[in-house]
Amino acid sequence: MTLKDPIRSPIPFSRGNVRPLLNEIIHALDRLLDDDEPTVIDLASLPFAPGELEELEQTLGTGELTAELDALGKSFIRETEYPGVWWVEHHNTGGEVVGRYIEITRSPEILMSQDADVGAGRARLRDSFENSGPELNKEAGK
Amino acid sequence: MKTIPTLGDILQAQGVSRRGFMKYCAATASLLALPPAMVPRIAQALEQARRPSVIWLSFQECTGCTESLTRSSSPTLEGLIFDSISLDYHHTLQAASGDAAEAARHAAMEENMGQYLVLVDGSIPMGNPGFSTIAGISNYDMLMETVEGAAAVVAIGSCAAFGGIPGANPNPTGAVSVQDLVKDKPVVNVPGCPPIPMVITAVLAQFLTFGQLPELDIHGRPVAFFGQTIHDRCYRRPFYEQGKFAETFDDEGARKGWCLFKLGCKGPITYNACATVKWNAGTSFPIESGHPCLGCSEPGFWDKGGFYAPLSTGNFGSGGKLAGAAVAGVALGAAAAVAGRRRQAKYTKEA
Amino acid sequence: MDLLDFARGPALQVAAYILVAGVLWRLVGILMLKEKPEFSEPRKPGGFMAALKVIYTRSFTAAPFKRATLYPKMLAYVLHIGFFAVIFLFVPHIVFFEGFLGFDWPGLPNNVIYLSGVAAVVAGLALLVRRLTDPVLRLISNFDDYFSWFVTILPILTGLIMPVRMGVRYETLLAIHILSVAVLMIWLPFGKLGHTFLVFVTRGTTGMVFERRGAKT
Repeated sequence: MTLKDPIRSPIPFSRGNVRPLLNEIIHALDRLLDDDEPTVIDLASLPFAPGELEELEQTLGTGELTAELDALGKSFIRETEYPGVWWVEHHNTGGEVVGRYIEITRSPEILMSQDADVGAGRARLRDSFENSGPELNKEAGK
Repeated sequence: MKTIPTLGDILQAQGVSRRGFMKYCAATASLLALPPAMVPRIAQALEQARRPSVIWLSFQECTGCTESLTRSSSPTLEGLIFDSISLDYHHTLQAASGDAAEAARHAAMEENMGQYLVLVDGSIPMGNPGFSTIAGISNYDMLMETVEGAAAVVAIGSCAAFGGIPGANPNPTGAVSVQDLVKDKPVVNVPGCPPIPMVITAVLAQFLTFGQLPELDIHGRPVAFFGQTIHDRCYRRPFYEQGKFAETFDDEGARKGWCLFKLGCKGPITYNACATVKWNAGTSFPIESGHPCLGCSEPGFWDKGGFYAPLSTGNFGSGGKLAGAAVAGVALGAAAAVAGRRRQAKYTKEA
Repeated sequence: MDLLDFARGPALQVAAYILVAGVLWRLVGILMLKEKPEFSEPRKPGGFMAALKVIYTRSFTAAPFKRATLYPKMLAYVLHIGFFAVIFLFVPHIVFFEGFLGFDWPGLPNNVIYLSGVAAVVAGLALLVRRLTDPVLRLISNFDDYFSWFVTILPILTGLIMPVRMGVRYETLLAIHILSVAVLMIWLPFGKLGHTFLVFVTRGTTGMVFERRGAKT
């Protein structure tokens, strides 16, 4: 599930960026397995030639798990064909890409429920629970 | 001075989740060309950052820089305005006009004395103040008055940074740049015609996140985006090294995407982020689209001898002057020969 | 006007005027001199063909001197061929010539050119060392010898530094490179570098005279 760029460059041209990147991912997987150390690669910082980003995406493919996040616009987080290698794409409310990363990790941080959000949600649930209590009692006591 | 809410306060008040905030921080890190490992630090800084007041002054400009900024995707300009900065004055984007607008500007200056950012696009005419005025105030007066209480000034676009097209030969309005006039405040130049939108917002994001201005090069440009030449990051560089060049705009070489040096590309002497960051959310940049780099982020790029004149051509002056030099040479030679002949005759006679 | 604008503009312009004027001055000054009258009978026709012949044959050392001159000759060939390759077969330079000639020609890949440049500089340094250490050469060398060496090697050296940068901004290196070429252009007509255009005149003259007199050419 990816948002394709609407305008395609007509000249696909390999500048050889994909292979070294794959090598880097392999080494990152080593670090993940040996030291439990995650790695994040910011794809925006790399000078891809036209067609190379698509080539990378196709090479990594799609695996078992896909998630869609809706916060300040959509984000697409999916595990690639290679477990531990995640493709994370952030979009803003206008549908434009604001970040593209490859995360080599057991699970991208953003998938986890965050403490602040859990705390806020708990407060909301408690409020809703407490507020609905007397009404229920009223109903029961009818 | 009124208390300014932190960005954390604002986002929380707007119901933005922690995940949303994390996305925002990741996007900001990407924007500032910082490694992903810096994201936690950015998150910490942003939570405590206060929303700065921003006054945007437009002088002799084509509004292209504002147009570029409204195409910025990360963060969106609307998001930028409402979430991160308080854009208190901007001709094109503000609802107010006339006296009301000027009053808003003065109010923002007074309330945020010493803390607001001044953004400038367009050059300032010094030839005659009447060349460009706003509400009857000359550009020069408005600039000097507004920067008095500013924390920093950002010159956006090549006109504000270096004089731009109004400043090009013969410069009929006496156009000068912001840094020519503002000497006692930090000035950051974000040149380009227009600048890459992301770069504009990155400078603002840097100020917002870390409360300081980015590291600058000798022309006052953020090194993060203007530290490398286009040539050094261009994906067509292998063709340059192999000697494969496009000769005309639609020949075989051009269609194969070969180097555009012979068509006048100024990539080797142009410092900008076009080759990596690109335009339209990373879609393409001029060279990728088949046009040589104009060098638009460099001072005086309009007067560098022509967009389609290759960088290694000389300017030998008119043929007439060279012919004149030739004639002078021949004359000197003839004179020397005459003297030489006289000497020869003398020696032959003596012998 | 910054350094690069100055280098590409006024500096090159003035250098071009001086080069053209200087070359013509020397050429016309020499060619217009009176020919020494030949009173002997011509053994062979001589003439223009003899001139051309000797321009070619003088490229090869006469047998008795071959051994002694082998080392400097090899170095000189490396220097000249490397220098010509760098000037005339590097595409950005070809573009430079196209600017005023109106036509271009194919070039070589950049790494080949770079190698030629390095070889030329190394040969040049070896020749300088020879000039400084050989007692005879040291005795007879003058300002012209050393300065001509300097203005020849400097453009190649500055050109080689450009892709490497060494911490200097590219446009500054480019400006310095162009200025060094301007200096070469200005000095060329006046010192021993004048051999660039005079070698044909001198060899040709020798050829015409010697051939006419029946000497070995």
